[in-house]
Amino acid sequence: MNAAAPAIAVRDLSKNFGRFQAVKGISFDVAPGEIVGFLGPNGAGKTTTIKMITGLLKITSGTVLVDGLDRREQPAQVKRKLGYMSQKFSLYPLLTALENIEFFGGISGLAPRELKAAMARMGEQVDAAVLGQKIHDVPPGIRQKVALFVCLLPGPEIILLDEPTSGVDPEARRLFWSEIYRLKTQGKTLLVSTHNLDEAEYCDRIIIIHNGEIVAAGAPDELLRRKQKASIEELFKDAISEHGQD
Amino acid sequence: MPSANMGRIKAIIVKEFFHILRDPRSLTMVFITPLVMIFILGYSVSYDLNRIDAAVIDLDQSPLSKRLAQAFAANRVFVVHNRGDAPGRMLSLGEAEEMLRRREIKEIIVIPADLSRRLAARGSCEIGLIIDGSETNVANLVYQYDERILLEFNSGLLAAGGTAGRLLRLDTKIYFNPEVRSQFFFIPGLVAVILLMISAMLTSLSISRERETGSIALLFISPLRSREIIIGKTIPYIIVALLDGVFILLFARFWFGIPLRGSLLVLLLFALLYILSGLALGILISTSAPTQRTAMLATLLITMLPSFLLSGFIFPLDSLSPVLRAISYAVPATYFLRIIRGVILKGAELKHFLFEGGMLVALSLVLLAAATRKFNRQRKAAQ
Repeated sequence: MNAAAPAIAVRDLSKNFGRFQAVKGISFDVAPGEIVGFLGPNGAGKTTTIKMITGLLKITSGTVLVDGLDRREQPAQVKRKLGYMSQKFSLYPLLTALENIEFFGGISGLAPRELKAAMARMGEQVDAAVLGQKIHDVPPGIRQKVALFVCLLPGPEIILLDEPTSGVDPEARRLFWSEIYRLKTQGKTLLVSTHNLDEAEYCDRIIIIHNGEIVAAGAPDELLRRKQKASIEELFKDAISEHGQD
Repeated sequence: MPSANMGRIKAIIVKEFFHILRDPRSLTMVFITPLVMIFILGYSVSYDLNRIDAAVIDLDQSPLSKRLAQAFAANRVFVVHNRGDAPGRMLSLGEAEEMLRRREIKEIIVIPADLSRRLAARGSCEIGLIIDGSETNVANLVYQYDERILLEFNSGLLAAGGTAGRLLRLDTKIYFNPEVRSQFFFIPGLVAVILLMISAMLTSLSISRERETGSIALLFISPLRSREIIIGKTIPYIIVALLDGVFILLFARFWFGIPLRGSLLVLLLFALLYILSGLALGILISTSAPTQRTAMLATLLITMLPSFLLSGFIFPLDSLSPVLRAISYAVPATYFLRIIRGVILKGAELKHFLFEGGMLVALSLVLLAAATRKFNRQRKAAQ
């Protein structure tokens, strides 16, 4: 990773769906080793932005640089640097946890020895009986854990997590965030979208997006101080009302 | 019972009209589908044959027998074959039977050696007819055409001063399906249609399911190449569809009593190529289908309609208009139908279907290339 360049640099990024502009020329950076929370209500443009960074959605205008590489010019190199966990789908429900790991390890090009080691690592964290169950029978918290594990299999430096804790109970969310911290200590960069405002406190910085525009950005404490708000919830409501409700 | 509230009913009616008018799929179904169906059916629902290839073996070689052979040749529908492999030699019965097996002809007309003598002595004579019974509807049509020609020829004989007793009659043999059982005709055709439909359905649903659940995103951002995804998606379904094919064939054999006069191995080899074309078609359909439901409906329409109407299954290919006949060359069932009927009913061998096999390979490759290209284009469109 190039320490001088931002891990992710988004400049004037826009996305139009027909006449509807879902993302309106936003710009932000994510520094290497940083956890950035991407906050916003449903339909704010979080998933659309993340999908444009990953290459799953075409960019209407603007640029995305990942570790200095242009997403449109060098898509294959960018892909190798990114890990992505989607809110919609992360694992195949009819496969067991281990089978999912085997599949995603296989398509990531992991050697059989690496795959075996990865499966052993997962076995240390989760009960073997649970790993042998089909994913749709596994509790949501463990499902998220396996999904994150699978996302990390190719060894990405930058990890994009799109609402990873939606539908997960508070204890499982807490455990998930402790895992995210562990990744930060390993030097990984994380951009995490969420609409759970209490998760903002786990982030080094937060970016609040509403109606496709960034309405506030900065370290949570600094933002509270600057805007003279007592809580992130208050800050969030204020930022959104300033830019108009839908 | 409470009376219906017209206001509430009106609200539903208005809402339904909005849905119909604002949903292009509904509009297509309402206005385009009937046009397509009436166009295809209008040109394919016909029992008029445009061409009947017939071998004429004239063993009599008398002026009368030559006139009779000429009566067939002069008919606009008949294409007469009467030359053997060796130059100047007449077609032998063995050669003609081989042509019948290869589907090059639909019937053999045998004019007996003593036609003129028997006609003069007994006042009547039988003309031998051997008709390919593997397509029962075509066999019936061919017989009707033969009868009409012979009727006219007999009328000609009478008009030329012959006696009322001097008549030619048809002595007919049906090859490959002597009892003219329609099941022998329909079941192999159904096997072909079902196998194509199932093969295409397997891949179209598999990919559209990934699209619907969002899992395709994970494949797209993985290092997998598009062709790797397609190959990986196709191979398991080749095995599943082939097993399905064996299962359907066994059911046809033991439940409906359909014979298997040729080699099962040959049939399975061609079934493999046929299945591949179906799987490739399914992938191509899935690239345009956003949901599993759309993929399923599109697959049913695209596989079943042409396979029933434009493959020779129900309506003879020779009765189709030139445009539909040209389209029939792009329908995989057209080729597999010939193969399955040939192997099952005629005991035909690998060598008889080199063209059909080649066309199935070509169709599979074209469909796979188109599917990969479209899949790849969709993937790249995001970048």
